[in-house]
Amino acid sequence: MKKMKLLFVLFALMLAVPATAAIDTIAVDVGISVFKTMPIGVLPFEEQGKIKWGGEAPHLILTRDANLSGRFEAVPSDKFDLVLFSKKRARQYVTGNATKLSNGKIKLDCYLYAAETKDLLLGESYTVKPQDVRLAVHSFFDKVVYRLFGERGVATTKLAYVSKIDGVKQVVISDYDGFERRQITHGESISMMPVWQKDNKGLVYVNFRHQRPNLYAISFGGTERALFPQFPQTFSPAVNPKTGELLFAVTDNGKTELYRGDMKSGSAKKFLHLQSNQVSPAWSPFASEVLFTSDRGGSPQVYAVGRDGTDVRRITYMGRYNERASWSPEGDRIVYTSMDEGKMNIYTCALDGTDIVQLTSNAGNNEHPTWSPDGKLIAFASDRGGNYQIYIMRKDGSGVTRITNGVENTSPTWSWFFEDIKVK
Amino acid sequence: MKKLLKLALMGAVASFFAWGCANKEQPETDPYPKTAEQPAPDSTLNYEPIVTDSLSADSLARLEAERLEAERARLEEMINRIMLEDVYFDYDRAELTEAAKVILAQVAEILSNEDRFLVTIEGHTDARGTEDYNITLGARRSTIVRDFLIAYGVDGKKLVSVSYGKERPKVQGTDEEAYSKNRRAHFRVSIQ
Repeated sequence: MKKMKLLFVLFALMLAVPATAAIDTIAVDVGISVFKTMPIGVLPFEEQGKIKWGGEAPHLILTRDANLSGRFEAVPSDKFDLVLFSKKRARQYVTGNATKLSNGKIKLDCYLYAAETKDLLLGESYTVKPQDVRLAVHSFFDKVVYRLFGERGVATTKLAYVSKIDGVKQVVISDYDGFERRQITHGESISMMPVWQKDNKGLVYVNFRHQRPNLYAISFGGTERALFPQFPQTFSPAVNPKTGELLFAVTDNGKTELYRGDMKSGSAKKFLHLQSNQVSPAWSPFASEVLFTSDRGGSPQVYAVGRDGTDVRRITYMGRYNERASWSPEGDRIVYTSMDEGKMNIYTCALDGTDIVQLTSNAGNNEHPTWSPDGKLIAFASDRGGNYQIYIMRKDGSGVTRITNGVENTSPTWSWFFEDIKVK
Repeated sequence: MKKLLKLALMGAVASFFAWGCANKEQPETDPYPKTAEQPAPDSTLNYEPIVTDSLSADSLARLEAERLEAERARLEEMINRIMLEDVYFDYDRAELTEAAKVILAQVAEILSNEDRFLVTIEGHTDARGTEDYNITLGARRSTIVRDFLIAYGVDGKKLVSVSYGKERPKVQGTDEEAYSKNRRAHFRVSIQ
């Protein structure tokens, strides 16, 4: 590919076309990764005996997984149809068998076939309770992604976000597609800013039970404890993906600064020694660097700094309000929220702040972007439909899909990959 | 303890004075806060003509209750006044406007005369911007209010500043009218 571009540049030079113009064109090509999705056929499962699906039937779950993944485009069909698959360029298709067992469970045999030859590329079998059908199908879909791309899929990952329930902001989690929602906090005070602990063992979040923002850790077993009570106000948590340690913001006497703390021992020390306020820390994928927001230039802008707190450099220069940056798991891009004339929109840029791409526009406010762990997708909150809901889009801004409904859902944070999801 | 002694002394002096001119003028409300343990001398401060040397225990209790009720109402009125006085800020700013300083001077006046009040200063922002940055902005607002009150002579130990960011809007809405009412510092008062 690179070689071709080089040739193209040389060709342009030889033709004596203004060289800069040709290079500019190429630079844009390289900068914006335009998704090329792979069409994949999806057929309904053969059912042995009448099966009452609690929710969606398996092929509908697979269709949704394919279209959300940022990798595929589903080509649904009622039966095997090679003409359709050829026309739509679907070289593979997924389908399966479903059998109702006497103990109430459902046996799912899921298959990935090559369309033209009907060669079996992948076969997986799951025996599950009816309420676990979604998880089994998500598991199969991630295996399909791995078979065809050699990469981990995100169909078994989850989102944590904030949902207004009876007028109070509560932390909830759900599957990445918005299904299987579960409420995590129940108190009468505001809960917000959830992030996933290392290995998805639980969440760290902010609660106002003492009429001020404070960090808490909650495990999915149900135990909860206050974090770093030595500080009056703590918020803006960011979990180190490698060690599990926490970067967070402390507000004391009007100044907000970043601290780095160990959740187990409770000890924490100042991360940066700057005159300005700092907030919204985010780790790089291998925890070697940190992004944060500072108002040192008079308005919030994104900066990067080494994990030892040295070598601060400014990333964003365009506009007066750039906040809450987050590092792509692939390591090459930064996503952040920018405000212009009171409207919030989501942008990405290269690590040095160049090559800015606006992902959302003319659709209300769009904020709080969070990367999927494979770096292909971005979840965010938008009020484009009247009230705030969670949406997923591809990392180039295409394929925007709403995944929540209800009163108000905000502040999504994507989980890490689950190491060992077992469906038996 | 010293303060209590002083209060008791003043009460005694006042009651002596009141005894002397009980029929001439009505006593003013005591500017000094009274505690529940302060008993007898005040009974003589009441307006009713004293018929007998010793009042019945019944009416004593009634008078005491009335006095406490008046005191409670007075404190409540003061608290309400402070809690109604929100201080407003310009967009993305944490500097005090001239209007804000006028309000804060009045609040400082009340607070420096009433040392039992513990005041929490809440900093709030409008709905624009991120949750994280708005908490820092709210913190800057509550702290500048606290600093102003301290400079005015209020005891810093009685003032706590917290930030709610954009989480507690006073007015719902997405226009400048709503935004301008939500960019504020709000006082919450509790009695120690």
